[in-house]
Amino acid sequence: MIQTNNLTKTYGKFNAVENLSLQVNKGEILCLLGANGAGKSTTINMLLNFVSPTSGTAHIDGLDVVGNPIKTKQALTYIPENLMLYPTLTAVENLDYFTKLSGKRFNPKKLQAFLLEAGLQHEVHEKRVKTFSKGMRQKVGIALAIAKESRVLLLDEPTSGLDPKSSNEFIELLTRMKNDGVAILMATHDLFRAKEVSTHIGIMRSGGLQRYSESSDLSLKELEAIYLDIMNFKHMH
Amino acid sequence: MKHIVVKELKELMRDGRFKVALVILVILLAVATFTGVTQYKRSNLQYLDSTGKERTMWETQGEKNPHSAAHYGTYAFKPQFALSLFDYGVTKYTGNSIFLEAHNRNEASFSEASDQTSLTRFGTLSINFILLYLFPLIIILIGYSSYTKEIEHQTFILLKSQGIHPVKLVLGKWMAIFFPVFTCVTILFLIMGIILSGLENLTFFSWIGLISLYTSYIIYYMIIITITLLVSMWSKSSGISLVSCLVLWIAFSFITPKVATNFVNKDHPYPSKSEFLSAIENDMKNGLDGHNPWNEAAKQLKEETLKAFGVDSVSQLSFNYDAYRMQKGEEHEAEIYEKHYEELNKITQEQNKTYKGLSFISPFIPLRFLSMDIANTSYNLHWKFTSATEKYRIEMQKFLNYDFKDNSKTGEWSYQMDADTFKKLPKFKFGPPVLLQILKENAQNILFLLLWLILPLGGLIITSKKI
Repeated sequence: MIQTNNLTKTYGKFNAVENLSLQVNKGEILCLLGANGAGKSTTINMLLNFVSPTSGTAHIDGLDVVGNPIKTKQALTYIPENLMLYPTLTAVENLDYFTKLSGKRFNPKKLQAFLLEAGLQHEVHEKRVKTFSKGMRQKVGIALAIAKESRVLLLDEPTSGLDPKSSNEFIELLTRMKNDGVAILMATHDLFRAKEVSTHIGIMRSGGLQRYSESSDLSLKELEAIYLDIMNFKHMH
Repeated sequence: MKHIVVKELKELMRDGRFKVALVILVILLAVATFTGVTQYKRSNLQYLDSTGKERTMWETQGEKNPHSAAHYGTYAFKPQFALSLFDYGVTKYTGNSIFLEAHNRNEASFSEASDQTSLTRFGTLSINFILLYLFPLIIILIGYSSYTKEIEHQTFILLKSQGIHPVKLVLGKWMAIFFPVFTCVTILFLIMGIILSGLENLTFFSWIGLISLYTSYIIYYMIIITITLLVSMWSKSSGISLVSCLVLWIAFSFITPKVATNFVNKDHPYPSKSEFLSAIENDMKNGLDGHNPWNEAAKQLKEETLKAFGVDSVSQLSFNYDAYRMQKGEEHEAEIYEKHYEELNKITQEQNKTYKGLSFISPFIPLRFLSMDIANTSYNLHWKFTSATEKYRIEMQKFLNYDFKDNSKTGEWSYQMDADTFKKLPKFKFGPPVLLQILKENAQNILFLLLWLILPLGGLIITSKKI
């Protein structure tokens, strides 16, 4: 579903991402951990074709992202750290607009059903999103993924800034989508959430994947120790 | 693309600033339409009234010596063209009537500006002003943040991640600005067309002319929309975009035309009025004077005439030689006027050529020329009017002098033309050139307008793929 082979992005002499090879299959969640500047967001940006790779390849749903920028985007949903919607439109109107851009069309009842499925209360469906909290906007993003029947979900720090309740709800939604067969790649700083939700964990540093393992192979303490070890290695060098 | 248009329009309709701008625009349009139509009706009535009265005065002047009648003269009035409601052009300054008399080619007088107080310098609220200046400003207000707001509100990332083709996105945004502008302009022209076609004694109104004018403005607005979107795409913030758009609007609408005017005046200056009149006077001095039988040219004419008719003295001629000499004098004076006015016309043509050549620095210039020509309010039209009046003046003098010559004897200054004969002088009629001719004469302006549309549109599509 998500695959990169020796994916590299350099800016002058700086390697933002270096020879990154990873794979996320259906029903898997790969959490990419790492400090700021580790290359997590650049990786996601390359998967979205917002940034062109210097070398290597990236595939979404079997399609090369550079060769098929539109088709690959239609197959995925991207939720950035701060998902912003059109403030003067309602939740339903925002969802309607984005689904239509992806080539899907639903009646308002169906759109409301998607919003409900994503955990957004019925009372706010027809409210303009300018009053929405970050958690509510994230839920509209998830509703979009459900409506689009996205096979791939790319998330960049989706829980940062969320209160614990909203964060929990969001993780529950991700788990449900994973169980529905969606391949999810999530960049995060949150070790606890990563351990809780992921099937696989990758730790990045200086653009490279330093550690890759199944989540079930590690306890939270072990993960924390490995993470700190890799980060300390950075500081020592 | 339809979804983008619908969403953009929805956002626009919910934007308080747009609602306020729309209300103000509608009020201004209503006021401008009402005052414009009222003013037009009054001017048209004045034209019809003056034309009728002047003709009656001419026809009812009674028995009179033809040359006295030639000096008594008459007025020719420029019609109030219906489409002048949309573009006043130079009509405020060129004058609406010309006094036609013997020996002199007079300038047009009684311009609107000269009839009004100095307050008129502040300008008036007109449809012309709204079409030329306010609509582009409204376009800028609608479109300046089309792209920058997406970036500022951070919606652009989500938008781009949906797999929407960038060209579809930009065309959708373009259509979303075009649609309200198109609707407003179409309604305005439609209402004006209906009002104009319903007016009594309407002068030279045609729906095709109106549609051509409408199309010209629509193309101009399409250009402004494209440039506004380009600026929005290139700008880092809405503030920068707004300021850049306004700077371009000021440059296009105010600075460039004025710079172009200075430029053409410097390159092809008009002679001063006194220089112009002195040159004519000098030429007249050495030529045939109908009233002076003793100057060299008159003596030569007499000799030639006597020889041609095989007589020894003018009293032997079967016609009134004095009237004949006056006609020849008129023809000579007309030639001198023609020569000097043609030189003036050449300068005007050169100025226009240079001015039009500067169209590449502002789409306002080709639009203005095209609009004035279609509305029959250009200097070009005024020139055609003055040429037509001069032609009529020459015919009028010929009519009077020939009557004098053929119906009296030399020296019979007491001869009086029959009162009814005045009615035989054809009425002065002036019609504007046909639309096809106007469009042909404006081929360069049309080409420049289309280039101003196509090139930025191409730039817009190319740039859209890069952001």
